[in-house]
Amino acid sequence: MAANTDLSNRSPLLERPWVRWAVIGLVIVLMIVLPLMLPEFANQTIARIGVFAVAVLGLNVVMGYTGQVSLGQIFFVGVGAYVTAFGVNADWNVVLVFVLACLVPAVIGLVIALAAARLGGLAIAMVTIALPIIGVPLAKRLSDFTGGSQGTSARFSGAPEWTGLYDDQWQLYIVFLIGGITFMLTRNLVRGKYGRAFAIVKGNEAVAGSLGVSPYRFKVLAFTIASLIGGVSGFLYMVVIQYTSPETLHFGHSIELLASMVIGGAGSILGSLLGGVWYVLLPQVTNLIDPNITAMLQGAILLVVLFILPGGLVSLPSLWRRRGRDAGSGRPGGPVGGAMKADAAASVAGSSTVGDALGAPSTPSPPPPTTQSPPPSTTQS
Amino acid sequence: MGTFIQLVIDGLSTGSIYAALALAIVLVNQATGLINFAQGGMAVLSAYIAWALNGLGIPLLLAILAAVVISFFLGAVIERYLIRRFERGDPDTAVVVTIGLLTLITGFCAWIWTYNNRLFPSLFPLETIQIAGAVISVRSLGTFIVIVACMLLLQALFLGTKLGLALRAVAINPASAAFSGVNVGRNLMIGWGLAAVLGAVAGVLVAPQLTLTPGMMDSALVYALAACILGGLSSPIGVVVAAWLIGVLENLAAVYVPFIGHDLKIAVPFILIFVVLFLRPQGLFGRKAVVRV
Repeated sequence: MAANTDLSNRSPLLERPWVRWAVIGLVIVLMIVLPLMLPEFANQTIARIGVFAVAVLGLNVVMGYTGQVSLGQIFFVGVGAYVTAFGVNADWNVVLVFVLACLVPAVIGLVIALAAARLGGLAIAMVTIALPIIGVPLAKRLSDFTGGSQGTSARFSGAPEWTGLYDDQWQLYIVFLIGGITFMLTRNLVRGKYGRAFAIVKGNEAVAGSLGVSPYRFKVLAFTIASLIGGVSGFLYMVVIQYTSPETLHFGHSIELLASMVIGGAGSILGSLLGGVWYVLLPQVTNLIDPNITAMLQGAILLVVLFILPGGLVSLPSLWRRRGRDAGSGRPGGPVGGAMKADAAASVAGSSTVGDALGAPSTPSPPPPTTQSPPPSTTQS
Repeated sequence: MGTFIQLVIDGLSTGSIYAALALAIVLVNQATGLINFAQGGMAVLSAYIAWALNGLGIPLLLAILAAVVISFFLGAVIERYLIRRFERGDPDTAVVVTIGLLTLITGFCAWIWTYNNRLFPSLFPLETIQIAGAVISVRSLGTFIVIVACMLLLQALFLGTKLGLALRAVAINPASAAFSGVNVGRNLMIGWGLAAVLGAVAGVLVAPQLTLTPGMMDSALVYALAACILGGLSSPIGVVVAAWLIGVLENLAAVYVPFIGHDLKIAVPFILIFVVLFLRPQGLFGRKAVVRV
């Protein structure tokens, strides 16, 4: 279903297999060469972007693809980071530490989802908002594991002697490798059988149930996978930043992750990457002007994006293309891709008349950002 | 025994603040079917407005009343120009809108008034009185009484006035309400305005205790949401009882359960939720919704 709309939106050149392979090859070459060429600060910034792009990717699995609002993603990142720090300081094998950093958040996420998904609707949002808010005092309390409010640091990601690399280059390679694999696996997941089940659950739970797709099971599955990816992000966080404290889990960061996901593009792999860029670069830019305006700007831009660009930054190219095409056919400013699907879902739910009665603008409401807007160029990543 | 009574009464007092926010959330949810995560942020903004007016030399009570009125119009304007576009659409999108609003309002407060703590004068004297061997602050008692009065007023409005009837009609079925000549849009604005007023009352009551900061209501919002889950979003009385229950239980747990203590007591409502969820998925007082394809 998504593939069909994809084809109509993508420019013909990018459809040819050799172009796609060339782009992939170019990206891989860049990933190998760039860390060696760039200055230290740039490498560190790109590594941070990688860390948070993975976190946003996890949020996208649960929210963008499955339609459950989660406000607790940063909690799983924090748990992953703490598990990594604890394991490294206890001198465990690094592979074991990585596996635990994935598994512990996944198990916690599974338990939470088993309870929260029973409520359905917005209950997941209402329960997950508590995670970072409970997480901060919990991290302070469990000071044997977490180092209390002082936090804990773990240095294990220095470049080995034989490579001759600087630390920042080595760390960036680790982020590229683990982050790249996470992105590829997630892309395959959401493009495949499970992705279709997620989309049905997101579109209409009652329909999903009647099709034999258990909404409960797939919501729990998506939440668990998102928690696992959060744990991966937490491991990478320790690779790059090497220090974590209760501040890592702060509620505000969770909101920023969500804003970054929507602004980058919900339900899109490339959008997750853009979300990571946004998460890291926006504070750096606003700090130059006035650190106090960061939060306000983040909120204002989030609202503006929801109003005028519901598909997020990733939908900009297809919006432009559509504008150009529509100008010819005299239908200006059609909604971004996915509108038809949203429309269909609305008519299934039988709620289209309500909007008219409300005196709302009679045009179909703009597609929500979480509607699966066909990511035009996800194949590149 | 004295400590116990004191803990219960203090719990009812803080529980009342959660109840005010929770009622505001229920009010908005009943009218529009969405959860307003910005409710706490709007309450903080109201408290800052009252604080700023008081700073200009206006007496505290007048400043609070003015802030309440301003909040009403703010709530109505937010509904009309921001939320209306997303109402009755995908609830997830609408929720993200309210989260954006929360970030915007919190950021706005931080930009104007910085993140520094501000002292907010208390409406009630800092005296204490003796009841059944417990020392109880007048502030706790006053908070409790003000919130109960608000609830009774709200109940009277809903059940005893024409406006209340219209609001209920819009909440139950906006389409039929519109066909019978009710101005749905105006009633939605009034509903949001009233919710903002409830938030403002909660804000000015909690500000003297916590001191005024942009993130002041974050945890109160979490408690209020927990009360909404426990009480069931369809039952205003249910959420109030749940909010009181949470307030009392967390106070008792903080003192009598050693591991929980003062800093982890916010986990109490969620442990409660987990227990309730497995026994009664629709909440303590909620009805089971039937979904049809």
